[in-house]
Amino acid sequence: MKILVTGAGGFLGKAIVERLLAHGQNDLRCMLRDTSKARGLEAIAARYPQARLEFVTANLRNPNEIPRAVSGADMVIHAAAALKGSPAEMFMDSVVASRNLLEAIANELRPIRVVLVSSFGAMGVAELPRGAMVDEKTPLEQHPAQRDVYSHSKLRQEQLFWEYREKYGFELVVLRPGVIYGPGGGHFSNRVGLSLFGRFLHLGGNNLLPLTFVDNCAEAIVVAALAPGANGQVYNVVDDDLVTSRQYLALYKSRVKPLRSIPVPYPVLMWGSRMVERYSKRSKGQLPAIFTPYKTRAMWGGNQFSNAKLKSIGWKPVVPTREGLERAFTAFRTEPEKVK
Amino acid sequence: MTDLRKLRVGIVGCGKIADGHAEAVKHLEGAELAAVCDREPLLAEQLAVRYGVPAWYGDTGEMLARERLDVVHITTPPAVHLPLTRQCVAAGAHVFLEKPLALTAPEAKELIDVVVAGGRQMSINYWPNFDPPAMEFKRMLAQGAIGEPVHVEAFIGYDLAGAYGQALMSDAAHWVHRLPGKLFQNMMDHIFNRIVPLFPDVEPEVHAFAYKRREGFRNDGTDAMLDELRVFLRGGGVSAYGSLCSHARPVANTLKVYGTKATVEVDFNNRTVVSTTSQRYPSAVGRLAPPLQMAGRYFGQAKKNIGQFRRHEFHFFAGMSKLLELFYAGIRAGSKPPIPYSEILRTAEVMDRVIEQVYPVQVSEVAR
Repeated sequence: MKILVTGAGGFLGKAIVERLLAHGQNDLRCMLRDTSKARGLEAIAARYPQARLEFVTANLRNPNEIPRAVSGADMVIHAAAALKGSPAEMFMDSVVASRNLLEAIANELRPIRVVLVSSFGAMGVAELPRGAMVDEKTPLEQHPAQRDVYSHSKLRQEQLFWEYREKYGFELVVLRPGVIYGPGGGHFSNRVGLSLFGRFLHLGGNNLLPLTFVDNCAEAIVVAALAPGANGQVYNVVDDDLVTSRQYLALYKSRVKPLRSIPVPYPVLMWGSRMVERYSKRSKGQLPAIFTPYKTRAMWGGNQFSNAKLKSIGWKPVVPTREGLERAFTAFRTEPEKVK
Repeated sequence: MTDLRKLRVGIVGCGKIADGHAEAVKHLEGAELAAVCDREPLLAEQLAVRYGVPAWYGDTGEMLARERLDVVHITTPPAVHLPLTRQCVAAGAHVFLEKPLALTAPEAKELIDVVVAGGRQMSINYWPNFDPPAMEFKRMLAQGAIGEPVHVEAFIGYDLAGAYGQALMSDAAHWVHRLPGKLFQNMMDHIFNRIVPLFPDVEPEVHAFAYKRREGFRNDGTDAMLDELRVFLRGGGVSAYGSLCSHARPVANTLKVYGTKATVEVDFNNRTVVSTTSQRYPSAVGRLAPPLQMAGRYFGQAKKNIGQFRRHEFHFFAGMSKLLELFYAGIRAGSKPPIPYSEILRTAEVMDRVIEQVYPVQVSEVAR
């Protein structure tokens, strides 16, 4: 089976390629935006003598470049997405790019199984009570404009995949990872806190972090991709033995570097968010509404998370959380923090 | 009563800069953002959803036919400004365009002629010139505090690793690389639109040179882009230097005018307008005074800025809001637009002279 992986050179994409090879899927086509990303993949492939890795450079913004990448593929795992940039750029690279890919898949006129890496951000958690369980039955976000642009773009992307499935009838599996972490990834999810004016505001309190180690997340994607019964299903991806935001921060400080953090209790954060929103409205946007009660409820309200559905199709974490954190923090000691 | 009706505004081109327009229009009294349009409907949709705009379109003709717009903001790349202007004017709309106005000065003239012939008005988003410090500078000039300009220095910095810079450096197919004057053409309106109003109405001498300071080749379309531009101009008794600088830090944005009565520096980023002091008292003791006087002037600027912040007049795009307020008021009253067309055209002509000198091949290709 020939499998196309988009975003194959990225943080998650490389891990997906590795897990596919580990599952005996050797015929892989890796879509990259530029060829420089191929080196990391070649190093991975060197560990699997049977691997047949093919590299295609394509910019998903450009519809003409996609058909040759999709041609002949039996499965497409779509892991490419925008993580930063202006809103227009994020929509270009997540939503328009997805539409272009879906058009190419639809034009192939043969059965292709499509696997989408969506996000926790696509779910409407702001209206859930604090501490509520978030699982695959949690509805999609109803008020995307009130969320951050990343969540908005991921929601629209997922909707687009369901719309195309409805229209063209291909097999679709959707995975919604929580916070993907690991060596080479970001040091802090916003769920832990934000650096503001040279201080780290710890906003997550005792909330559970929906962490998934990059290899575990990739394993989940591959297990679901290869599970015959997964067609039309959604799987949330979080690991076992999750830590709280406070535990993560404490561990980071002891294993990576000292950090001056200011804990902000949830009621204070909520009050501050109301003030910021009110001021932003009154001043006609003189300061942006980076905090609003809606965003705060979604990001820092705190939830429980389930991976039961994922386990029901045979997923098991390949790296326990304790070891995953250890590996990530060891790497963070030498990796500079990426600017968001 | 018709004056009280809100102007129905549309946006064509839902890229990055459209956010600034939507934000400004949203807060303007007397205007409503009625529809947005992009040939990529998903981009139109995201802008509409984020700003609560009731309608979005993938086709300009359809939007114009259905929405009866009073004003259309054209925020597309410049290559399609002229055809879109024709379409909007034919549908009875006034137009507000992003810079650069067109690919060449003759095309810019044609665009303005289309607007005038259609009995509509146009303006261009020269927003920094309507920011609070620029307005203060214009008042000083009008009151005669600076005297006659003798020499002008306009400097704009550019960050190739910044939000906009990255977008073009990471994409060899970005439309900026296809402009005859590439990066300079997309930025230098903001140099010459500050110089031109201070020059007499004669064709200026323009001497330009440019180079690529960044190192290394990527073997793609970005390699041909020069990143440092210096221009000398003279018109009658006034001279000027214009610079676009991609490597000096901080990324500055300033205008310095040496007048017959005073020398004034406008800092667009820091929002200060300060005239240079000179020694008024004799001897070494006298030389102690000017820095203190300068400190006092900067302190005055800080106080003024705090006042503006408290009155909610200190937005990033304050100048765009001001410019739109004046443009929309002109439309309602049927009076003159805020930026004289002659100034827009003279700016475009200087830009053509610069591009001819720094990218000679590209200009002759466009002419063909």
